[in-house]
Amino acid sequence: MSLVLIAAVKSLVLILLLLTGFAYLTYYERKLLARFHVRLGPNRAGPFGLLQPVADAVKAIFKEELVPDHVDKVVYLMAPALSLIPALVVFAVIPLAPDLTVFGYTISFTITDINVGLLYILAITSVATYGVMLAGWSSNNNYALLGALRTASQMISYELPLSLILVAVLLTTNIGREVGTLSLVEIVQQDRPWWLWLWLWLAFPIVFICMLAESNRSPFDLPETENELIAGFQIEYGGIKFALFFMAEYISMITGSALMASLFFGGWRGPLATPGTWYGPLVGFGWLFLKIVALLFVYIWVRASIPRIRYDQLLQFCWKFLTPLAILYLIATAVIVVLV
Amino acid sequence: MDPIAVLRAAFPEAVLDATVYRGTPIVTIKADSLLAIGRFLRDHPELRYNLLSDLTVVDALKLPGDHFGARFLGIYQLRSIPRNGDLLQLKVPLPGGDDPVAPSVVGIWPTANWHEREAYDLFGVRYEGHPDLRRILMPDDWPTHPLRKDQPLGGERVPFTPTWEDEEFAFLGKQIMKPEQRPEPVPKRMDSRHMIINMGPQHPATHGVLRLIVELDGERVVGVQPDIGYLHSGFEKQGENIRYKDFVYYTDRMDYVSAMQNNLAYCLAVEKLLGIEAPPRAQAIRVIVCELQRIASHLVWLATHVLDLGGTGLALLMYAFREREAILDLFEMVCGARLTTSYLRIGGVNWDLPPAFAPRLRELLDILPARFDEYERMLTDNPIFRRRLEGIGILPPETAIAMGVTGPMLRGSGVKYDLRKAQPYCNYDQYDFEIPIATSCDSYGRYMVRLNEMRQSVRIVRQALDNLPPGDFLLDDPKIAPPPRRLLDQSMEAVIHHFKLFTEGLRPPPGEAYHGIEASKGEMGIYLVSDGSAIPYRCRVRTPSFANLQSIELMSKGHLLSDLVAVIGTIDIVLGDVDR
Repeated sequence: MSLVLIAAVKSLVLILLLLTGFAYLTYYERKLLARFHVRLGPNRAGPFGLLQPVADAVKAIFKEELVPDHVDKVVYLMAPALSLIPALVVFAVIPLAPDLTVFGYTISFTITDINVGLLYILAITSVATYGVMLAGWSSNNNYALLGALRTASQMISYELPLSLILVAVLLTTNIGREVGTLSLVEIVQQDRPWWLWLWLWLAFPIVFICMLAESNRSPFDLPETENELIAGFQIEYGGIKFALFFMAEYISMITGSALMASLFFGGWRGPLATPGTWYGPLVGFGWLFLKIVALLFVYIWVRASIPRIRYDQLLQFCWKFLTPLAILYLIATAVIVVLV
Repeated sequence: MDPIAVLRAAFPEAVLDATVYRGTPIVTIKADSLLAIGRFLRDHPELRYNLLSDLTVVDALKLPGDHFGARFLGIYQLRSIPRNGDLLQLKVPLPGGDDPVAPSVVGIWPTANWHEREAYDLFGVRYEGHPDLRRILMPDDWPTHPLRKDQPLGGERVPFTPTWEDEEFAFLGKQIMKPEQRPEPVPKRMDSRHMIINMGPQHPATHGVLRLIVELDGERVVGVQPDIGYLHSGFEKQGENIRYKDFVYYTDRMDYVSAMQNNLAYCLAVEKLLGIEAPPRAQAIRVIVCELQRIASHLVWLATHVLDLGGTGLALLMYAFREREAILDLFEMVCGARLTTSYLRIGGVNWDLPPAFAPRLRELLDILPARFDEYERMLTDNPIFRRRLEGIGILPPETAIAMGVTGPMLRGSGVKYDLRKAQPYCNYDQYDFEIPIATSCDSYGRYMVRLNEMRQSVRIVRQALDNLPPGDFLLDDPKIAPPPRRLLDQSMEAVIHHFKLFTEGLRPPPGEAYHGIEASKGEMGIYLVSDGSAIPYRCRVRTPSFANLQSIELMSKGHLLSDLVAVIGTIDIVLGDVDR
C-alpha cells in the first residue's frame, strides 16, 4: 500500500514538474527564437513576460470545445491523450538525482527502476506515433491524413537508427563487468573510462537527429508543416485538445533531452552531486536540469537556423545515410566491446 | 526592320490600316487573318514577335470613329525579345457586333489563355478554339460582362445590401451558400480516384487569396488548377470613370508591395499619351524610389519564400523586414506614406526629396550589401535550402517566353531581357548596371537572380543619388502639372491654372498608348485609350503576376506537394496584382 502511495506521490510531483517545465519551455523557446529573430518575444504578461505561459494555458482551457461533425468522435478525442501519455510516462524510468537516505529510509528519485528501462522507453515512444496517426485519421480531412501518413513513415523510419545506437550504448555497459544492464539508473551510475565517453559522443549527433525526428521538431516537423499542410494532423483540433498535442511535443522534447543527458552526459552526475550526502540529490538534480536546458537550447537553435527538409529527402536521409551509419557504429562498438 | 512594311507586303488584303502613334506601330488587321498574321509575326526570322505582352479588348461603343464597323476591338501588344523588346500593337475589329467572336491565339502564344479568359469574362468576347473558356475574375454566375461600356459603374444589384429590411440580407445571415450553388467537388479534367485538395483561399503559403485545386497522387502533384479573382476590385472600370490624375492613387493598391512602380507605369503611360517627358530631376527621383521599391519588394519575396520553406524562414523574415522597414521609412520621409505611396505624378513627382533624405539613404546603401551577404551566408550554400530549390519548377526559356513570363522569372530561365535595358525609360540607359541571369531555369536560379538584382538596384540608386540633377521635380506646364504652391499666393494665372486642372483635369489628344516598365515582378504595362476627354476611355492594366501565375501548373506538375509551395514562392505573386 505504501509502495503504491509513494509511487503515486512521486508521479504526481513529476507530472506537475513536467507540466510546469512544458509551460516554461514554451516561454524559453519563444524568448530564444525572438533573440534569433531580432525580436523581443513575450514581454507583456508579468515581469519579462514570465506569466505568458499562464495566459496561454488559461486561454487554451477556456476556449470553446468544438468537435467537428465529420470526425470519428471516439478516436478523435482519444488521440491527444494517446500522444501526451507516452511523453509523460517515459520519465518514470529516468533517474532525476542520486538516492537520498533519511532516517534509514532510502528515497530514490526515480519513479521506478525497472531492469528493462531502455526497452520500456523504446516501446512507449512508439506508442506516441499512434496518437498522431489516429488524430490524422479520425479528423477525416485530407491535410490531416497527409500529415498522419508522413508521421507514420517518419517516426517508424527514425526509430531504426535510434534503436541501433541505443543498442550500441547498451553493449558498452558490458565493459568491465560480468553483465550489462538495461536500467537507466544503473547506466547513469556506471563509471566509464574516458575513451568510452568520447566514443559515445561520436554517436550523439545521430541520436540527436533521430530525437528531433521522433518529437516532430523542426527541421523534421513534416507532419505539421504549417506552410504546406497548414497544421497537418492537428488541423481539426482546437482549444485544450490542441494544447495537449502541443504539450506532448514539448514534453517529449524534455524527456528526449533527459534521456540523452542520461545516456551520453552522465545524467545527474557532476561535481558535488555525491550520493549519500544530504546535498547530493539537490546538486544532482541541478546538473540534470542544466544538461536538459542546454540540450533544449540546441533543439531551439536548430529550429531557428535550418530550413525544413522535404518529405522524401527526409526518408532518404534516414534510410540511405543514418541507418547505415548507425549499423556501422553498432558493429564497431561490438568489436570494441569484444576487444577490451 | 519596319514591321508595317513587312506586314503590308505579306498580307496586302488583311492589313486594314497601319500607323505609328507616339513611337509604337499600330496595325489594324482583319479578324479572320489574325492567326496567320500572328504566326507570321512570331516566326518571321527578322521580326520574331515571340512575347505576347498583353491581350485585351476595347469596347468602342462610345468611341468616336467607325472602327471598321466593329463594336469590339481586340488589342494585342507584341514584343520581340530578340529585338530588344520592340513593341508592335495589333488591333483587330471583332465581327459579331454585340456578341463578338475572335479566333483564339492560344496556339501561337500560350500566355493568351488567361488573357482571353479575362476578355471573355469582362467583355463577353467568345474566343473560338480556346481550350477552357470560363470566367476567371468574376463569379461563375455573374450575369453581365462588366467592362462593356453599356454597363454602368455601380448600380448593379449586389447580393450584400446592408440594410436590415432587406430579405436577402436576413437570408445571408443564416446561410452562406445555397446547396445547389456549391461548386462541384471534383472539377472536370481531374481524376476522382486521386486525392483532390483545396489549397486556399485561406492557406498560409498562397500569399493572399489564391485558391489552388490540387490533384495529388500520394504526395505527387498531378494537376493544379488556380482559381483567382477573390481580390478582383475592378481597377480598370474605375480607371475608365475617373480623371487621369486621380487614377495614380488606385495603382498603389494593385501590387501593394511595389506601389512606386505601379505609379511609374501609369504616369509614363499617360506621359506617352500626352507626348511629354518629365524633367531630368524627376526622372532621377523616380529611378531612386523605384529601385528602392524593387529592393523592398524582393525583400518581401525573399522573406516569404524562405518562410514557406520552413524552419529558418522566420529568422530571415525578420531580417529582411528589418531592411524593408528602413526603406519604408525613407518612403515615409519623401511622401508621408509607407505602403500606398502615390508619390509619382503625371509629369514628375509630387514633392522634391527632403534634405534629410540623401544622408539617410547613403547610410542605408552602405549597410545593404553587407546584409545581402548575410542572407547569402544563411541560404546560398545551405544544403537543405539548395535541395529544396534546385531542379524545382523548371521553366525552359522557350516555354517561359511562350507563357508570357517576364521579370526575374524570365531572367531565371536564362533570357537576358530587362525592359530597363531593352526599352529604357527614365534615362535608365545612363546608369551602369548589369542584368543578372541564371541558366539553371529552376527556383534556385530565380533566387540567385533576385538576390543579385537587389545588389544591382543598390548600384543604380547610388549612381542616381550621386548624379541627381538640379531643376524642377515637376513638369513646368500648368496644363498638365499643378503650379508650385508658392505661386498660388502671387499669381492669378497660377490660381486659374490650378483651378482648371483640378476641376477639369488634363485632356490628352485622342489616341492610344501602351507603356510597359520593368517592375519588380516583371512587365507592368498600362494601355490607355483617350477620346479627347479628361477621363480615359479605356484603361487596361497588364500586371506581371497575372501572366506569371499561369505557368504554375507547368512548373509544379510531377513534383511533391512541398515543392508546390516552393513554386508559389518562386513566382512571387501578389494577389492584388493578379486580380486587380
